[in-house]
Amino acid sequence: MNSLSSRLLISVSVLLLLFFGATIAVLDRAFTEAGEQARRDILDGQLVGLLAAAEPDDSGELVMPDRLREPRFERIGSGLYAELRDLQGEVLWRSRSALGLEVPGGTVPELGNHLFGRESFEDGTPLLTLSLAVEWELDDGASKSYVFKVAESLDGFNAQIAGFRRQLFGWFAAVAFTMLLAFSMLLRGLLKPLRQIETEITEIEEGDRASLSSKFPTELTGVARNMNLLIDSERARSDRYRYTLDNLAHSLKTPLAAMRALLNDRQEEGFGDRFDEQIERMDEIVRYQLRKPAASVADNLVLAPVPVEKEVARLIDGLRKVYHDKHPEFEVRIEKGMQFRGDTGDFLEVAGNLLDNACKWCERKVRISAVPSVGARAVASGMVLTVADDGPGIPQDAADALLQRGMRLDESTPGHGIGLAVVKEIARSYGGRLSIKRSELGGAEITVSIPPVATAKSDQVP
Amino acid sequence: MRLLVIEDDATLRESLAHKLSEAGFAVEQAADGKEGLYFASEYPIDLAIIDLGLPEMSGLEIIKKVRADGHTYPILILTARDRWEDKVDGLSAGADDYVVKPFHFEEVSARVNALLRRSGGWASSALSAGPVTLDMSRQEVLVNDEAIELTSFEYKIIEYLMVSAGKVISKSELTDRLYDQDFERDSNVIEVFIGRLRKKLDPDNSIKPIETLRGRGYRFALERNQVD
Repeated sequence: MNSLSSRLLISVSVLLLLFFGATIAVLDRAFTEAGEQARRDILDGQLVGLLAAAEPDDSGELVMPDRLREPRFERIGSGLYAELRDLQGEVLWRSRSALGLEVPGGTVPELGNHLFGRESFEDGTPLLTLSLAVEWELDDGASKSYVFKVAESLDGFNAQIAGFRRQLFGWFAAVAFTMLLAFSMLLRGLLKPLRQIETEITEIEEGDRASLSSKFPTELTGVARNMNLLIDSERARSDRYRYTLDNLAHSLKTPLAAMRALLNDRQEEGFGDRFDEQIERMDEIVRYQLRKPAASVADNLVLAPVPVEKEVARLIDGLRKVYHDKHPEFEVRIEKGMQFRGDTGDFLEVAGNLLDNACKWCERKVRISAVPSVGARAVASGMVLTVADDGPGIPQDAADALLQRGMRLDESTPGHGIGLAVVKEIARSYGGRLSIKRSELGGAEITVSIPPVATAKSDQVP
Repeated sequence: MRLLVIEDDATLRESLAHKLSEAGFAVEQAADGKEGLYFASEYPIDLAIIDLGLPEMSGLEIIKKVRADGHTYPILILTARDRWEDKVDGLSAGADDYVVKPFHFEEVSARVNALLRRSGGWASSALSAGPVTLDMSRQEVLVNDEAIELTSFEYKIIEYLMVSAGKVISKSELTDRLYDQDFERDSNVIEVFIGRLRKKLDPDNSIKPIETLRGRGYRFALERNQVD
C-alpha cells in the first residue's frame, strides 16, 4: 500500500469500478425499459386483433373464431395466450396455446380501460398481461360486458435481458482489465526514471558512479540537480574533513618532535617555557584546523539562511559580558531582515572573530555593518560585512603579510592573527575575500565580501 | 569566596581546585553535570566554573537551569570548543565569560577575580574605598598606600567584605563562604579575625572600615572611591 504504483492502481480500480458500475446500471435500465415497452406494444396489437376477430353468435354471446390469425395463439405452450371472460370471471374462451394452463384472473379493469399487469402461471412462469374490459353492444341493442385478456410469457424476454447483461459485464470486464493492464504498464514507464534514480544512487554509494546522470524527464531534473548538489557538497565536505585531519596530524608532528627533543634537556634553564611554547603551538594548530569553514559555496543552496541581525545581536550581547570592564560602544548598521546563505557556525566565526579583535583593540568604538550584495542571475545574495574600530589599526605591512600569506600554519607566527586567518579561510571557501584598511573611526576596518551565489552550478545540468 | 568547579577531567579539576584554594578560595568540586547542578543550586556559591562538555548533563543545561532558578552569581565557562558558535551559545545561556582549553591557570584566576569584582559592582581590579585599597590580583591590601601584612584568612575576610561593600554580611555567611566544608565551624573565630583586621587596618581607630551590626553581621562601611 505504500508504493506509488499500488496506490495508483488501487485508486484507478476503484474509479473504474464506480464508472463502469454506473454505466452498466444505466444501460441495463434503458435496455429493460425499451424491451418492456416493445412487449407492451405487441400485446396491445394482439388485443386489437382479438377484438377484431370476436363476433357475437346467434345467441347473442360473443364467440371467437375457430382459428386466429396469430399462429402463436394456436400452438400449445407458445408463450402467447388469450382469454375471454365475462365480468364475473367466468372463462368464455381460451386460446389453444393456453391448453392445460390456467391464466390467472388478476385484477379486472374498469369498463373501457386497459390494464397492464405482471402475473404468473402456477408453475411460476412470469407473464406480462394486458386486460381490457369492454361493453359489447349486440345487434338487439342490448349490451354485455366482457374482459379480453392477452398474456405473454416473459421467459424469453428475461433470458434476453440476462444475455444482454452477461454480454455487458463481459465486455466491460474485458475493457477494465485491458485498461488496468495498460495503466500499470504506463505506470511502470512513468516510474522508470525514479527507479533509475534509485539505481544510480546505489551505484554512487558503491562508488561506481560520480553523480546522477542528466537524462531525466523535466519534472525530475530539479530533483536530480539538487541531489547532485547534495552529493557534491557531501563529497566536498568529506574531502575537506580528510584534508583537515591529514593536515592536523602532520602539523602536530613537528611540535611533538620538538617536545621529545626538549625532554632530553629538561634540567636546563627555561625548559618549562620552551615546553609550554610547543604546547601553545599545538593548541594553535588544533584551533586553526578545527575552526576552518564548515561549509563552502556548494553548500550554500542546501543550507538554511542565517538571520544576520539576530546572530550579530547575540554576539554583541556575549561580547558585552566578556569586555565588561572595557565597555566598548557598539554601532550596528544592518539591513532589517537581512539573511546570509551559509552555515551559521561559519557566519558566527567570521563576525565573532572580527568583533572580538575590534573589542580587543578599540579605544571605545566598534562599528559593524552588513549589506547584502546582489548580482544578476543570483539565486542567493552575498554579503559585505565590515567591522571597524577606533584602535591603533593594523600596520600596512602586517596587513599585507596577513592577506598574502598562503595559510601554511607552520609558517604563521603563533599567537597572532589566528582569528583573522580563520576569517580569511572562511571567506575564501565561500568564494569571497578579506580586505583591511584604515577606518574613518581611526583604527582598523576589515571587510569580508562574499559574492552572491550565481546559477552557474545549476547550468551544468542541461 | 566559595567557588564551584564542574569539570569531568579529574586531573584538570583537581589541579584547578588545588590552585584556586591556594589562591585563597573555598572550592567545591563536581565531576559530572548532575552533581554539578546540585552544588550549583543548593550551595552558597559566589562563582561557578563550568565545563561545557560534561557527562550526565551538559554545562549549557546547567547554566540555563541555574539562571532560570534565579541565581545571579557569575559563571565562567571552560570549553574545549573554540568556535564562536559554542561561545555565543554559552554566553547567551547566561554565562559571563569563557576560557578556552588548554589554558594557563593565571588566565582562569584573572577572569575569576574580574568576575567576582564585577559582581560586587567594582569597576577595576583594585578595589578602592577611602584610604583602603585591595588588589585582588596581587592579594594585597594597602592603607594610605602602605601595604598591610595579613594572614590568608584575614585577607579572605576583608576581600569578601570589600567586594560586597555596603552590604551586611552575616557571620554564618562569612563562615559559609570562607571555610572549606570540613573546616571546624566556630563563629567566635570570625569575631577574633574581625578584631585583628580592625587592629591591622586601622590601628588608631580613625577610619573604621568594618562596621558591626549587632545580631546581623558586618559591613564594609567606607564609600567606594569613584575612579574610571
